[in-house]
Amino acid sequence: MFVLLRHLQGVRREIALPSAGPRGSLALRHVDAGSCNGCEHELTATANPYYDMQRFGLNIVASPRHADMLLVTGQITTRMVAPLRRAYEAMPQPRLVAALGDCATGCTLLGDRAQLAGPLEEILPVDLRIPGCPPSPQQIADALLGLMRERAGLSN
Amino acid sequence: MSSGEHLSVAALAPARLEFVSPSQWRAACERQAQAGGRFCGLWASNGAQGLQVSAVFATLGQDHVLCAVVPSGVIDTLVDLFATAGQDEREAHDRFGLRFDGHEPMRPLLAHPVEPEAWTVPVHSHDAYQVAVGPIHAGAIESGHFRFTVVGERILHLDLRMFYKHRGLEVAAEGRPLTDGLAFAQRACAACAVTNTVAYAQACESMLGLAPDLDLRRARTLLLELERLYNHLHDISAICAGVGFAPGSMAFAAFKERAQRLNRRLTGHRFLFDTVALAAGRLRIGEADARAAREELRALCEEQRAVWRELCFAGSVQDRLGEVGQLTRDDAIRLGTVGPPARAAGVRHDTRSESPRLAYGEFVAAAPEQPGGDVAARLEMREVELLQSFAILEQMLSGDLAPGAVKSLNTPASELGVARVESPRGETVCIVQSDGDTIGRFHLRTGSYANWPAVARASREGLLPDFPLINKSFELCYACMDR
Repeated sequence: MFVLLRHLQGVRREIALPSAGPRGSLALRHVDAGSCNGCEHELTATANPYYDMQRFGLNIVASPRHADMLLVTGQITTRMVAPLRRAYEAMPQPRLVAALGDCATGCTLLGDRAQLAGPLEEILPVDLRIPGCPPSPQQIADALLGLMRERAGLSN
Repeated sequence: MSSGEHLSVAALAPARLEFVSPSQWRAACERQAQAGGRFCGLWASNGAQGLQVSAVFATLGQDHVLCAVVPSGVIDTLVDLFATAGQDEREAHDRFGLRFDGHEPMRPLLAHPVEPEAWTVPVHSHDAYQVAVGPIHAGAIESGHFRFTVVGERILHLDLRMFYKHRGLEVAAEGRPLTDGLAFAQRACAACAVTNTVAYAQACESMLGLAPDLDLRRARTLLLELERLYNHLHDISAICAGVGFAPGSMAFAAFKERAQRLNRRLTGHRFLFDTVALAAGRLRIGEADARAAREELRALCEEQRAVWRELCFAGSVQDRLGEVGQLTRDDAIRLGTVGPPARAAGVRHDTRSESPRLAYGEFVAAAPEQPGGDVAARLEMREVELLQSFAILEQMLSGDLAPGAVKSLNTPASELGVARVESPRGETVCIVQSDGDTIGRFHLRTGSYANWPAVARASREGLLPDFPLINKSFELCYACMDR
């Protein structure tokens, strides 16, 4: 165990984000509405020791009832429209919606039109767009921290 | 592991296509299996000849495809011969209306009827109750629905309802030029992007009578192993998270991050997107970059070995792994399980050892020390395979890499291409049927698709709170399944 903990201590020195972030917190609920799993991998990676987003108060919470922001990934499939709406309706207000990745932002459409419900902004009001295919953990972190700074009235 | 410049033309020949009448379909499939053919998928299509059903059987020499034109829309089922055909037949039923005589009850796979009776196995008991999970899960993971029937904490049965992420990628690809198909294969799944695109390219190339040269085989082998590397590191991290062991989970998440950064340095993309082309190579790595990559991989290998040893001696981790989520060897064979979960259950099969279109040479499938088919064996399988991948990567990066090209085999062009490629999750089968210069039918049967029934089987009789761990020990893609 000592070897492992010592190893981890070494890893933490390579954190890529500034150590001073905005104050406060943002509880995130992720909904995969038809992604290729790339955005999920990168969103999960924001918690790895290189980025460690939790230290800025950015946490992925288990229920939309505990969330400030809905992070939606993927081209919205017809089968995920209803679960997505229900998750949104379950959130306390005020609430935010982020489109994570090129699919959710509507930049790429690849699939059978009959199976796709259209871009996210036609289904829910979108407050933040995070482009990329998929956006890297750094880009995701930058976008979320930027939004937190903006809302706290801080300049970037 | 010599790469063998001399390729046997027979091994590279396109799949042998045999048409049979609907009345002979079942007997012909049975004969293929008796002759040693391994069932690797069934699909329906609706082309110029009308409604068709086809099945592919893998043999050591040349893959065999049986095809029957079904004007009546009804054909004998194969599900009692090959349990793994169950999902394929349900998909063919839902997409093409094909009916399979003897497949009772025909539960929907793509279709999502509301009533649970239509898609769950009925359980009559005073004590049993159902637990519904998903499609949205608590973590940052993909969408899919699990319906558990449990008594107390013990799982009696698990019904999977997938296809929430069905984007109709196969339908959308049809009618487009062959080169366009790569984008659809890649979009099916990010974590299997290389496997799916290599499988698609190989299917097309075998159909066109083309074979990759040594450079192209080396480049694709390198990409496939880079993909396996970051996926296996991720899987070990996920299993550690599944038992609540944060130090192990974080250490391997950091290794995965390094592997993905290496991907970006070598190919420009963390998930190796757009690195595979049809009938051509795209990857060029200079001598200096290859050397730097080799050094990084050696360091990564050594460091992950040290952390792996720590995991082996962490009692709180090891105590949670044994005899959990057990899949017997018999069940793995019966269900057509592929990849690390099958090998962890004692099935010595790895498509890499039968890949003449890649540079695996004399590759031999790995096995864990105790192929018990439980979470412990599946975890160990990842580590054993990581060591293989590091060795292959070292070999592929031994000098500079040229993009490579294809050469003609001078065999008559076919209208059907079949490719089998080992993804991090198991054998992926890609089918391409051409319609002139365009895609007539494109079908992807991924390792995840083949393995989801094994997740349901391995969870049975287990504890409901163990399910996340069991699920993570398979770590299958939903996107690959749903397409």
